[in-house]
Amino acid sequence: MVKGDMYLAQASDEEILKQGESGGAVTALLKFALDSGVVDAVLGVKKRDGNNRYDAVLDLITDPEKVIDCAGSLHCVSLNIARNVKEYLGGAKQMKIAVLCKPCDARAIIEIAKRKQINRDNLLLIGLNCTGTLPPVVAKEMLISEYEVDPNEVVMEDIEGGELIVTLADGTKIAKDLLELEKKGYGRRDNCRRCNVNIPTMADIACGKWGVKEGEKKTFTEVCSDKGAEFIDNAIKTGVIKVEPPGEDAIEERKRKDREAIELSNKCEAEDLKELREISLDDRLAYWLHMFDRCIKCFSCRDACPICYCKKCFLEPDRGYVKGGEVPPDRMFHLTRLAHDGDSCVNCGQCQDACPAEIPLTRLYLMLNIKLSPMFDYVSGMDVEQKPPLIAAKDEEASIDDIDIFLVKGEAGEVVPQQ
Amino acid sequence: MGEEVKGEFEPRIIGFTCNWCTYAAADLAGTARMKYPPNIRLIRQMCSGRVDPLFVLKVFLRGADGVFIGGCHPGECHYMTGNLSARRRYSMMKKLLESVGIDPKRLRMEWISASEGIKFSDTVKEFTAQIKGLGPGPFRHIETEGKEQK
Ligand SMILES: Cc1cc2nc3c(=O)[nH]c(=O)nc-3n(C[C@H](O)[C@H](O)[C@H](O)COP(=O)(O)OP(=O)(O)OC[C@H]3O[C@@H](n4cnc5c(N)ncnc54)[C@H](O)[C@@H]3O)c2cc1C
Ligand code: SF4
Ligand code: SF4
Ligand code: SF4
Ligand code: FES
Repeated sequence: MVKGDMYLAQASDEEILKQGESGGAVTALLKFALDSGVVDAVLGVKKRDGNNRYDAVLDLITDPEKVIDCAGSLHCVSLNIARNVKEYLGGAKQMKIAVLCKPCDARAIIEIAKRKQINRDNLLLIGLNCTGTLPPVVAKEMLISEYEVDPNEVVMEDIEGGELIVTLADGTKIAKDLLELEKKGYGRRDNCRRCNVNIPTMADIACGKWGVKEGEKKTFTEVCSDKGAEFIDNAIKTGVIKVEPPGEDAIEERKRKDREAIELSNKCEAEDLKELREISLDDRLAYWLHMFDRCIKCFSCRDACPICYCKKCFLEPDRGYVKGGEVPPDRMFHLTRLAHDGDSCVNCGQCQDACPAEIPLTRLYLMLNIKLSPMFDYVSGMDVEQKPPLIAAKDEEASIDDIDIFLVKGEAGEVVPQQ
Repeated sequence: MGEEVKGEFEPRIIGFTCNWCTYAAADLAGTARMKYPPNIRLIRQMCSGRVDPLFVLKVFLRGADGVFIGGCHPGECHYMTGNLSARRRYSMMKKLLESVGIDPKRLRMEWISASEGIKFSDTVKEFTAQIKGLGPGPFRHIETEGKEQK
């Protein structure tokens, strides 16, 4: 097995196969990782109390038999996985952990690892394809008012071909147009609309259902690193998963779905940022100042953002930029965060989810990040070896006099960054 | 030189200038009696690499109409790569300003060596004229304490 290899995988264990969202390969691999001692723990996502899809929790699992509790995909949660690893698991400096992650989680972890606050070497990143998560409370409302179903009857959600498909316990499937739902304020989280990284190739392995034939219980798996390759090789040897080559049509199908999802997100991005891009500078400033002045200075955005890296935060009064005891805070509050995180923002949406004032923070960060990305040839969260652009000055630059070199490059390459 | 003509807008420009080059160039321009507008107030830094983007933001929010950064030419920074980092930050800041709605033309950076007194005075002339054209900065009405005058 080498980086880039792909195959269809299935859990050998009947119960895992049954409980798994696709082929249960992920659960089988995680169990193997614990059994074989490759990791000390698995960080999974599961329903609280085992029955509530709209209230998920992170679970640090050390007992291989408990991994199955996490089987299945929860679309109405977007837990702050990266920040949790950094904050509450000591940045994985003391233990080896297999972490389940959507692309945004994996990218956030990589950005933190660059800042030496997570030890990437101790992590086995099991990536899951993703085209969006839904805010849980709004999702429940949507299920009642738009789908006219009891949210507790739902056993599966899926985004496919521009539709949000909900499966009920009795097998009934109900599909509705995603963008129509979003026009009404339902659907995915605001940032997810514009997220264009669907396959987590920056993780060690990337797993998903794309490329799997309708009705088949298999997990399409791509090996994305040497570590992932070695791990999968061993798992296959012990027989915990069964694999077969996917075939050209399956690979093509997965590519096509990825492309379609990227097109959709580009369309949403163009739509969502259109007005902000077109209005005059004065109107744009008025808009953001108005938004900033809604801030109650709860610090949630800072505490949620995986990229916020300063050990001694510049938003604290003793740093001399933002006075204590003032609400709304000095605008330096928002601009400081933007200056520190804009280049490396992974559009995970954690800041906006956390904001009680409902400030559309990810729109501001994305608007800046889209401009910076081509300037510095930098897509955040892709490669742990790539330094953040502001500290990445290279010796060769000493022989380039043009002060606007990056700006010129940015203008020339202003396309939406792709993976 | 220096009297504010009543009614005409006189920009307030803050210039963060490297001790080893642009600051010395300003000095040279002064001693050589080269004329340049008095609108720029210089803040000496030990290197353009010391100019934290937060300085630029704070200065704008406290009412500056324009911000200038002057550093040593690439290859001539006393700390090797301070100016290269400064160029990257400056480029980021241009886009940050634009993203929130502050005209990025209000921020300018140039390499000006200690011997380039003329380049310094020309740059200040040009930049002052440009800021005059743009009019007062968006936070001009704010006093230095940071309190907004409503
Ligand atoms: C929100 C979401 C959206 C997805 N969208 C797509 C898609 O558009 N296209 C596609 O090909 N595949 C998508 N997937 C992946 C797919 O649903 C399966 O997870 C994948 O095929 C693996 O199947 P499995 O049977 O091997 O996994 P399982 O054995 O069922 O294991 C699933 C694992 O996912 C973890 N998990 C569940 N919910 C979350 C969550 N919200 N965040 C992080 N980890 C979680 C659990 O901890 C569990 O270990 C999505 C997954 C999620 C969570
Ligand atoms: S930001 Fe992207 S990867 Fe993260 S939950 Fe949303 S769609 Fe999925
Ligand atoms: S700024 Fe917001 S969207 Fe960007 S990385 Fe931080 S929390 Fe995520
Ligand atoms: S989360 Fe929202 S209200 Fe709280 S400090 Fe951040 S911007 Fe302000
Ligand atoms: S010493 Fe002048 S820019 Fe670094």
